[in-house]
Amino acid sequence: MNTRTITATPRSAAGLPLGALAAGLGFGCVALVPLLVDDPFLIHSLIMVLFFAYMASSWNFLCGYVGQLSLGHAMFSGVGGYVSVLMFTQLGLSPWIGMLFGGLLAAGLSVLIGYPTFRLKGPYFTLTTIAFAEIVRIWVENTNDFIGVPLKGAEGLVVPAAGDSLWAFQFSSKTPYFYIILAMLALVMLATRLMERSKLGYCLKAVRGDRDAAEALGINPTPSTLAALAISAFMTALGGSFYAQFFRYINPERNMGLELSIDMAVMTIIGGQGTVAGPLLGALILTPISEMARSHLGGGLPGLHLVVYGLVLMACVLYFPKGAIAPLGRLAKRLTDRRGSRP
Amino acid sequence: MDPLILSFAVVNGVLLGGIYGGVALGLSLIFGVLRVVNFAHGSFLMLSLYIAFWCWSLLGLDPYLSVFVTVPAMFGLGYFVQSVIISPLIRRERALVVEPLSALLLTAGVFLVLDNLALMAFGPNVRAVQVDYYLPSPMLGPIPLNPQRLIGALAAVLVALGLSWWLRHSHMGRAIRATAQNRDAAALSGINVPFVYAVTFGIGCAVLGLFGSLIAPFMPISPSIGVAFGIKSFIVVVLGGLGSIPGCIVGGMVIGVFEAVASQHITATSAAIGSLGLFILILLVRPQGIMGRA
Amino acid sequence: MAKPSRNRIALLASTMLFGVLAAGPALAQSAVKIGCALPLSGGSATVGNQTRAGALAAAEQINAAGGIKALNGAKLEVVFGDTQSKADIGVTETERLVTRENVAALCGAFNSAVTFPATEVAERYKTPWVVVGSVKDEITERNFKYVFRINNKATYDAREQLDALDLLAKETGKKPKTIAMLYEGSDWGRSHAANVKRFAKDRGYDIVLDEAAPPNQVDFSNQLLKIRGARPDAVIVALYTPDHLLFSRQLMEQRLDLPFGIHSVGGGTEDPAFYKGLPQRAVDYVFVQEDWQIDKLQQTNDKTILAIAERTKEMLGYGMSAYAAQGASAMYVLADALERSGSTDREKLRDAIAASDIQSGPALITGYGRIKFDEQGQNTHAHGVISQNLNGQRRTIWPLENRGSETKPVWPVPAWSERKGS
Repeated sequence: MNTRTITATPRSAAGLPLGALAAGLGFGCVALVPLLVDDPFLIHSLIMVLFFAYMASSWNFLCGYVGQLSLGHAMFSGVGGYVSVLMFTQLGLSPWIGMLFGGLLAAGLSVLIGYPTFRLKGPYFTLTTIAFAEIVRIWVENTNDFIGVPLKGAEGLVVPAAGDSLWAFQFSSKTPYFYIILAMLALVMLATRLMERSKLGYCLKAVRGDRDAAEALGINPTPSTLAALAISAFMTALGGSFYAQFFRYINPERNMGLELSIDMAVMTIIGGQGTVAGPLLGALILTPISEMARSHLGGGLPGLHLVVYGLVLMACVLYFPKGAIAPLGRLAKRLTDRRGSRP
Repeated sequence: MDPLILSFAVVNGVLLGGIYGGVALGLSLIFGVLRVVNFAHGSFLMLSLYIAFWCWSLLGLDPYLSVFVTVPAMFGLGYFVQSVIISPLIRRERALVVEPLSALLLTAGVFLVLDNLALMAFGPNVRAVQVDYYLPSPMLGPIPLNPQRLIGALAAVLVALGLSWWLRHSHMGRAIRATAQNRDAAALSGINVPFVYAVTFGIGCAVLGLFGSLIAPFMPISPSIGVAFGIKSFIVVVLGGLGSIPGCIVGGMVIGVFEAVASQHITATSAAIGSLGLFILILLVRPQGIMGRA
Repeated sequence: MAKPSRNRIALLASTMLFGVLAAGPALAQSAVKIGCALPLSGGSATVGNQTRAGALAAAEQINAAGGIKALNGAKLEVVFGDTQSKADIGVTETERLVTRENVAALCGAFNSAVTFPATEVAERYKTPWVVVGSVKDEITERNFKYVFRINNKATYDAREQLDALDLLAKETGKKPKTIAMLYEGSDWGRSHAANVKRFAKDRGYDIVLDEAAPPNQVDFSNQLLKIRGARPDAVIVALYTPDHLLFSRQLMEQRLDLPFGIHSVGGGTEDPAFYKGLPQRAVDYVFVQEDWQIDKLQQTNDKTILAIAERTKEMLGYGMSAYAAQGASAMYVLADALERSGSTDREKLRDAIAASDIQSGPALITGYGRIKFDEQGQNTHAHGVISQNLNGQRRTIWPLENRGSETKPVWPVPAWSERKGS
């Protein structure tokens, strides 16, 4: 199926894989943007694209490779955001440390939920993840105080302003946030790439193809899927903490709601699930669509961008089941092949 | 608890649960035959409610009479959605590995499009049908029964019975059941599978059309009304057993009574958490549901 | 072949670019841009679109009356951003309105969850923001310099409902003792309930039922049964339109008697669509607290206010609402400040808004006696108006100053069996 696993990876003259070279070049160029232009709105929009690309990539780490559709990942984002904010406001702990705790809690929670539910197949699994996430959201919305921790219910949490401080993860300029989320995205994509090539990646692919056959071959699917789930939840939670620090405000409706989960899944699927660059591509396609629909037509035709989302999703499922990255990959392959055949 | 209050709660729960079950019938039928989890289920109900509303508001048609519009219209829409949007996927999947998730995603796309087209076309305002006659409330002992909800619940039971009978005894029904059991074998024995699928999807939506007309007299209508019923329908169908027609009604009534009795002791929010928990528990412990076969 | 076409594209691009550059300053001279971030789609779309209509109607009136005279008759141009009720989208839209649209001032954004972080953006860009519709107390408790709120804080809303109960009790000598609360279980409903609870204790009311319900219920039989069991004298309700419609209709069907009536804190009962969806007897005697004097249009003879109401009705298909009025009020507050600052400079405009003291005119369309901000930017003269639905008309009953001389509140509320036609 995946052409890249069958054919040898094209290599550059220096011996580096071309993909890695292109990725490095791409990230390098994007990293230059704040140095070249002084446009806060552009930087803000780029941060939003990178943030959604990061969230979608975290989702992809599990769902794209195991082939299970989770619509409950927003729960992990919420856990991450709430833990880092509460540790900052209650204990005075730096969000940099708090977000690691949030990630660990999300990973622990994901294993608790994942262990019984991974036996469920297809839609059953999806519906269960929705139910779990909704339980957590409704519970947080209706809990003002949990064993002395002020969750503040539906009102949401505010991150108190602490000025320009690396320790407090707060900056007056947008540029530091830009580099942080860019680095986070690079890390998650690198992690995905390494996972693809590792034993974990091969196990997941086998499980994806045919769970029963994989088990017959002696692959126990549970530990590998759980490991991928825990990593995916951990990374999603870090994204939640980033959101909390960037907007300095979180609430259960947005940060734990079904809509965020759907966004993560839809971006990945449209871009190409089970690939390193697919989620990024999905975020690059969808975020501008929604922004444009809002700024040009928002007042006149409310809901238009969601109609476009729906149509793009349907078209992708029907005509590009491997996502928008598949035709692009074929194009790139044709280009490299042509160059290879003409010495 | 006061036994009178308790019996009030149980009666309310049965009536409302019957309506939940009736609304969920289409979801269960479509899953049972096509193995498609229709994420856009609530959106189809929303459309039925709007059709009933516009019939009343523009043509002065009583909502109960609007069944003659909603049922055929929704059958047509369902038939169209299946034969134009979903069937290419099913055709493709015959050759490749079956991926029920694609169907879920496809219907999620339909859900996004329908709900937001409704928002664009009808605006965000909440609308409600007002009829200017009184239906008398029949009494069950000391408890008055809400006539509109009673009609809905009775219709749910009748439709479930009728649908089961039809699936068992009619030629088309037998073809549907054969296709549900084995698509390829059914095709080999001369059944037009794409046609059966489209008819099944159409019937599922037509049932929603019926319930749209039956609940329009008491339900406020807005473009997002589908989501509330959609989630309830998933819980009901899983509880009763995905694909089981009688299970749907039983599942609906169990959820209805559970929520009614539980919410006398706890808040509605805790009851909502409880029913989601029940949903997960059923999926993990008895995925075939109360009435489904393993 | 390739070369000329590429040239043509370059030519086209450069003309477009120059066109934009040339049009930019020309527009800036003849129009003052006001940015308005509102939930135009998503869960609060109704409210967002009502506010939008009010703001547009007011801007039209201001422009028709000669624009901003201190700026040589510059016209107001309102630019909208859709927040979808989400904090991140609201912040992004605010960034866009400030940096791309280059607005002189901002207003919005109804949902407190959006207004709270979005006003931070305005503060950072030193762009004045006039809050419309958001009641979260903390919005005007952060020592911000650029954020102003014309309307009530959440605590005012709760206090006023009990003030009205006290006033009616004093006038008649009949005081309710027990209160039930039914509210939607998200931000607005929960914080209102918490505030009511806080005040009720000091005023000698006993909360006998405290019931939250998740938004978008499909049935209220269970909650009504609980209210029946708790036998309260009065019920305080905070529900959005669909839930409020369902609740009111089922209450009517079940003929549940509440001697001191239903006291709604707006939400559904502020929405004109609510009254279209219910028979009159379902809303008879209901008390509604809102930031808008519902019988203003019958009491006023201000032609501008009547024209705004007319125009809003044209745009929305139904009459003025609290949110349309608040949108209009915000435009007049900004226009007033622009006249005094004589400049679209954000800093000067901010100072002018801070110095506002409006005691007459269409800015007071909502029914306030005065608009004057304290050092936190809160209009301390803000108050809601409470009406009772009497003989098919909603009549102001609180505060006493706003009550018409012919309005006689019905207190206690007659039982269903004593009402005409039911």
